Amino acid sequence: MSERNTPTPTPDATPTDSPAVGDDRDPILRIEGITKQFGGITALDGVDLTVDTGITGLIGPNGAGKTTLFNCLTGFHKPDDGRARLYETDITAEEPPAIAQHGMVRTFQIPRELADMTVFENLLLAPMNQHGERLRGAWVRGDQFVEEEQTIRDRAREIAAFFEIDHLLDEPAGSLSGGQRKLLEIARALLTDPDIVLLDEPLAGVNPTLEQKILGRIEDLVEDGYSFLLIEHDIDLIMDNCERVVVMHQGAVLTTGSPEAVQSDERVIEAYLGGDDV
Amino acid sequence: MAVADFIISLLTFIAIYSLFGIGLNLKFGFTGLIDFGHVAYFMIGAYVTVVLTMPAGAAGYSGIGGFALPELFGVLGPLGSLFGWVLGVLGGMIAAALVSLAVGVPTLRLREDYLAITALGIATILTTVVNDEEWLFNGPFGINTVYTPLRDVFPLSLGGFTLNMAVFGILSLAVFGLTGYWLVRVFQHRGRRGRLVLGVLVPLVAVWYFVLPTLSGGMVELTRNTLWLFDPTAGPNGGMDYDRFVLLLSVAALGGGYWITERTINSPYGRVLRAIREDEDVPRALGKETFQYKLQALMLGSALAGAAGALWAINIGFIAPDQFAATITFYAFTAVIVGGTANNKGVILGTAFFWGIRNGTRFIDVPSQYSIQLAAARLMLIGVVLILILYYRPEGLLGEQDYDIPLPSRDASGGTDDV
Repeated sequence: MSERNTPTPTPDATPTDSPAVGDDRDPILRIEGITKQFGGITALDGVDLTVDTGITGLIGPNGAGKTTLFNCLTGFHKPDDGRARLYETDITAEEPPAIAQHGMVRTFQIPRELADMTVFENLLLAPMNQHGERLRGAWVRGDQFVEEEQTIRDRAREIAAFFEIDHLLDEPAGSLSGGQRKLLEIARALLTDPDIVLLDEPLAGVNPTLEQKILGRIEDLVEDGYSFLLIEHDIDLIMDNCERVVVMHQGAVLTTGSPEAVQSDERVIEAYLGGDDV
Repeated sequence: MAVADFIISLLTFIAIYSLFGIGLNLKFGFTGLIDFGHVAYFMIGAYVTVVLTMPAGAAGYSGIGGFALPELFGVLGPLGSLFGWVLGVLGGMIAAALVSLAVGVPTLRLREDYLAITALGIATILTTVVNDEEWLFNGPFGINTVYTPLRDVFPLSLGGFTLNMAVFGILSLAVFGLTGYWLVRVFQHRGRRGRLVLGVLVPLVAVWYFVLPTLSGGMVELTRNTLWLFDPTAGPNGGMDYDRFVLLLSVAALGGGYWITERTINSPYGRVLRAIREDEDVPRALGKETFQYKLQALMLGSALAGAAGALWAINIGFIAPDQFAATITFYAFTAVIVGGTANNKGVILGTAFFWGIRNGTRFIDVPSQYSIQLAAARLMLIGVVLILILYYRPEGLLGEQDYDIPLPSRDASGGTDDV
């Protein structure tokens, strides 16, 4: 993986009174009072949350507002109220491209591969600020263009090998299986060289073998310095793999904490885990 | 009229409309922007170029200008005049791009079907304004004082009749030779379809072009069709006439437009455009400012339409608002879809196909009382062919083109680098 250049958090980014997860670390993402309404429905009702490095699990029953929170954080929805900061940058009013440029990218709940483009092209698209992505760069094509394109191709091959989809590079992305599409989405997001990746159910509908493979990959990547905020319904999987867990219910954060603490929280058991099942 | 003259006029048409279609393909085929107002930029390119290049105070013209750019640079000789005209064309292209910028900023945020209908509305408004506001570009009377570059040089004669015939004849034959070479190269590896084209269609066209005219017109016709660049009746010693020059100019412009579009598409820039076409949220989520890309694609496509408009003006020699009806846009859409959306070669093939049927059938000999039926049948034929193609080959005759960003080869990397 390429060098990580994580910005140094400023002093004011230290935890305040919002429910912090893992207070011993500097938060990457700080969310304060995010509210979003659709007509008469309050999808998010003053969400307060901080997200630190590592893997944070985001769980909650259907309709809890998890995906809406992702959409608000990545600029696809504009929150009605509240504020989100990525390190010291206020990203509340930013558009999706700007937020991605700041270092936070997302995957989609239903994989959105570019079906008519090859797997390789899907990956090559991802690296940011390519010289050849500007008209002048595309027309003139100096040495920089060639070098950069070579580097990007190498990185794309490398990451495809990492996710074991390198034998599919020349196939149209639309011909991939469901699990492979999930892998492609994650690989594509990582090629933007982000600080934090928001993964929206990356494991839903993925077979157990592949599931373990993806989780293994994510853990490797955490060691390389990436952070993940992960929406998932499989509670065992969250408990086994996440360092911290956030539980949402009816558009608000119910509780946050270590997997053990969350699992034994009565409100969580009542709202989501369903009593004796746990 | 010799067959060669008809073919030259048809090919000029095809070259100009192919350039127009390539501009549309950049918007629609590669970026997914449905611009039903594409003809507006064709019109703007034509009008602005004509006004920039024609002399001031032309008879029968009461609009803005002209600005006589070729006259201004004409002091430097014929090449200066040509430069002035090229500046005029650039002005037309820039004007088309700027108007598309003004149209694009508010409309490109719309969903694609709304964009289509809004673009159509704006194009109609622009045409109506040009038609109704006489102070602007002479309104419905149009402009018949179109500046035609290098007009004085033609018919181009290099010396005596024999020399002209020899030089232009050799050039004509060279074009036939290159075309034949290209046909063989393109089709020889294509199996049954290739053999069909090479073995059946080429001889049929050759018989139609070389043999049939000989039967009716004798050796003169054969000579004129074979040495097509040479017009024995142009000037005292024969030579190359202006129509042939306009054809060459149009083909050169098409080549330029084709090259720049290919360069744009086969690049990381083009990858972003195609990603926008597939699902705009994906490139946005990956940090691409898609709005700017869409705006640039719209402006570039419109500038190419503007260049086509400038050529149209010198080809016809007269422009008026009614030449720029919305149907022209839909002809181009038909050509793009028939040839293969997102395929620049397909656009040229589709345009040749469309205008071949539309103009080629004008010369079918029918009793005059059936000429109206023939005109209707011509459109019906195009419609039927379009339906058949959409049914059996929805991706068009050639389908989407392959993409390749050529890089110098490296020993270690291996594998295909075609993307």
